[in-house]
Amino acid sequence: MNQEQKFSDEFLNAFVDDQLAPEEKGRAYLSINNDDALNRQVCELRKMRDLVQLAYKDLSGFTAPGPRAGRPGNTIAAGFILAFGIALGWLLHQPGPAPEATPVAALPAAGSVPPAVATHKPPAVPPAAKPLVVAGNEVKVLFHLSSDKPERIQEVLDEAEALLKFYRAAGQIARVQVITNGDGLNLLRTDKSPDPERVRAMLKTYDNLSFAACQNTIDRLKREQGVTAELLPGASVVDSGVAQIILRQQQGWIYIQV
Amino acid sequence: MEFFNLFGQSRELRQALELSRVRLYRMAYAWCHNAALADDLTQEALTKALRKSDQLRDPKARDAWLFSILANCFRDHFRRQRDMDDIDDLDLPDEATPESHSCTKEVVDQVRAAIARLPEGQRQVVTLVDLEGFSYVEVATILGVPIGTVMSRLCRARNALRALLVPQLERQNTAPGVALRRIK
Repeated sequence: MNQEQKFSDEFLNAFVDDQLAPEEKGRAYLSINNDDALNRQVCELRKMRDLVQLAYKDLSGFTAPGPRAGRPGNTIAAGFILAFGIALGWLLHQPGPAPEATPVAALPAAGSVPPAVATHKPPAVPPAAKPLVVAGNEVKVLFHLSSDKPERIQEVLDEAEALLKFYRAAGQIARVQVITNGDGLNLLRTDKSPDPERVRAMLKTYDNLSFAACQNTIDRLKREQGVTAELLPGASVVDSGVAQIILRQQQGWIYIQV
Repeated sequence: MEFFNLFGQSRELRQALELSRVRLYRMAYAWCHNAALADDLTQEALTKALRKSDQLRDPKARDAWLFSILANCFRDHFRRQRDMDDIDDLDLPDEATPESHSCTKEVVDQVRAAIARLPEGQRQVVTLVDLEGFSYVEVATILGVPIGTVMSRLCRARNALRALLVPQLERQNTAPGVALRRIK
């Protein structure tokens, strides 16, 4: 491809990286200016360099740690505070069991009034424990909407509502999430949603229901059509619809494509 | 007097090292694409630099010196791992799944994935030149290879990146309507 060209790839790279001697550079400038193919090649090399720079501009996940050089003062202070906290906690904790133990022991013995208190106590424990037991059986369902056809949107709302109603009636703990991407995003857009009232009502009725919009889709709308998608109140945003779906499935959610 | 001078110099060096941490980390991350390992390598390089600070004669060469320590740490790390194949001989497969390919259309991810596919030597050269703006001579010193090797590696790396990235980026630009529907 480059046989007929005057410059080797190495030379062009050196040109792009400003590694040539001044006279060489001047010569190269002239030749490149007069040659479209060379010009394009240089342009692409520059683009590669810019892309590499762009790729590592933002280092998410890097938390610059503070100076690691030792600051004994801080360490000692932290040690004192920790010791003080432990001591305080211990002191406050110590008298705790004693007063608590006495009423519990004393109340049943006291007579007619305390049993009422005593009977109140036991039920208080199971509700706390119960969700823990049921949590293992929690049903988690994921609806995926990628179309804006009215019947599809209707369907996803109907299905989700029916499911939530069923589980609520059955006393089963369930979580339902509707993930929208692509055209499906329209369900959650204030200007395009066919039935914003219903979405609002459902969100109000069922606190275990959530609607999520794909950030990628929102970005794409912005980029390609210049539209800033405004979402219905209560709708959440996930970075990537597909990634969210995969994540949820890995977490044991049931996936239903509408 | 000499003593105080030394002290001032070492404090200055320490501050400079602390400021270089982000840059060293960026480079280490670009080489290994592993945040934890990059952090370790950075720390190791800084520790070594601090310990051997008397070896640095010319303060102007500090950056090249630092990055050559980092390159040594990086090489030592892989030398310690005996169970690995020589990474230079491998054309690394892309680790991204088709799903992530179709959804993470972000340029950054694509570029990083493309860089991750480069053989180690090429990756080091291209990142040293592009991210830190080192001259070819400096890169040759940092990595301990002849300057001709630097040039040929850089050339191959950029060609490989171009071959990988240009079609991807063009595809993205040309199919806006389809892209919306592709995710099902």
